[in-house]
Amino acid sequence: MYYYILRNNDENLMYIYLPIAEQPIHSLAVLGVGAFLGLIMGLVGVGGGFLLTPIMMFLGIPPPVAVASVANQLVAPSVSGVLSHWKRSNVDFKMGTVLLVGGVAGSSIGVLLFNFLGKIGQLDFVIKSSYVIFLTLIGSLMFVESLKLILSTKRGKVSRGKLHQHNWLHGLPFKIRFRKSKLYISILLPILIGVIVGILAALMGIGGGFIIVPAMIYLLGMPTSLVVGTSLFQIIFVAANTTILQASQNQTVDIVLAIILLLGSVVGVQVGSRFTNVLKGEYLRLILSSIIILVSLKLLIDLITVPSDLFSIIISR
Amino acid sequence: MNFFFHIAVIFLVLIITSKTYAQNQIVADLSQENVKISTDFQGAKILLFGAYDGKKGDDIIVIVTGPKGLVTVQKKDKILGVWVNTKKVNYINAPKYLSISSNRKIEDILNKKTQKISEIGLNNLNVRIQPGIKVENEKQWRQALTRNMLKSNLWSINENSVSLNKDALFRSFLELPSNVITGQFEVKILHYRNSKLVSQQINSINVSKSGISAGIYSIAQNYSTLYGIFAVFLAVLVGWGSNLIFRKV
Repeated sequence: MYYYILRNNDENLMYIYLPIAEQPIHSLAVLGVGAFLGLIMGLVGVGGGFLLTPIMMFLGIPPPVAVASVANQLVAPSVSGVLSHWKRSNVDFKMGTVLLVGGVAGSSIGVLLFNFLGKIGQLDFVIKSSYVIFLTLIGSLMFVESLKLILSTKRGKVSRGKLHQHNWLHGLPFKIRFRKSKLYISILLPILIGVIVGILAALMGIGGGFIIVPAMIYLLGMPTSLVVGTSLFQIIFVAANTTILQASQNQTVDIVLAIILLLGSVVGVQVGSRFTNVLKGEYLRLILSSIIILVSLKLLIDLITVPSDLFSIIISR
Repeated sequence: MNFFFHIAVIFLVLIITSKTYAQNQIVADLSQENVKISTDFQGAKILLFGAYDGKKGDDIIVIVTGPKGLVTVQKKDKILGVWVNTKKVNYINAPKYLSISSNRKIEDILNKKTQKISEIGLNNLNVRIQPGIKVENEKQWRQALTRNMLKSNLWSINENSVSLNKDALFRSFLELPSNVITGQFEVKILHYRNSKLVSQQINSINVSKSGISAGIYSIAQNYSTLYGIFAVFLAVLVGWGSNLIFRKV
């Protein structure tokens, strides 16, 4: 009889103990989240890390572990994405290399910053508030854009924006020619974009696609067809650099969590990309932007409502 | 003379020991002395059982203490509309696990003074603040530590959880939560009669990581760069593999 009592509850076999997060988690929940986000990624083309990390935090994974492990898992969909874009010759490797130089430098700074914020006890706050800012921004932009598109197609006309605009940024020194992108611009610009995205990627556990894609279109003036493949190419290296540095500096990469997320997302992406032609893109974007706004709202509420206990503890391992 | 002296000493020792052993002995054992944290770990429930030489009205208190170390208490303040951690206090020797179990209310077993002297009870623990730091309103921080440790299930008070049987046998379940810290845990069993300690025994539980989980943890700690490179390699492999598999489907 005692033996029966002493055994761990068998009905909870679906739980898996995460060695770095040091807590059990329901494996189906993580697999499901991974698959769901993979599906969104396949359908819309964005939406990996910047939704995944907050959801991991909602599931109770400590933010440092969530950020580092999501960076690890992001490597896989990026590799897979680059391979398929490469086949269609949609990658500007020269531009990608310049971006990734900035990105690797930026993510290294990001990990150092991450380390420093952890030491002074402000890491959770910085991660959460940067999410609130960026998710609100991206979510509302996407929402408005897709709503406009839906309304204008209903009215029967499609508005077209300008693709390539020249501004003062193109006047910077050290100009270099990017044949594939048909650009002749200062090398400083893509490096700077890479650095900024790298810092954010390391801090927030994102690939940075949702920042770098608009930056490449509007600031660099790259052809849209090349943007996704090229950004994915640089994300591989930024995510890889972040993972290795997080692992060696902070020991926060949970490989078990990353693998479960990976398996879910890999299948999700493939299923999603198969249905892209079935469902209308703008409606999907509308739904996705609503989800993003909801997530940022939840994070915002956590930050501004009076905590149930003003005190919290950190137990050092 | 010498010979007789020896005999006498041995005899005396035997009498003393046999008397204490026979009368005031407490014998206890645990259903599990090694707790392994493997990939299916969700906490452990350990049965503590044993025999004691009791009389009607005797009490048993079981105190399980985990490894001690640094626990930081942080306090949030409202800055520009958001709640941010602003102050912190470090407790340098706080037990990272503590459970106090007894057969009835501890205040009925021991008076406040005895509790304080024998360091029984959450408020009687000797936890020290990191020296060199001035702390205002120390009591508030100390209460916050207790409250949050209780909330995380790492500290607990389980009155009425030790069951006694015919003043001779006792048993109690010790629960280790899934977020338990690894290390050596001390299990102290105290036998009281009229608020006086009659006998005690100390057992220990060793909590350690095992299997794949332990392997991953130790590699992540000791070969952290290699671990990171491997993690990336694995992700690249999965990404590339999925591309190959799904292209053919």
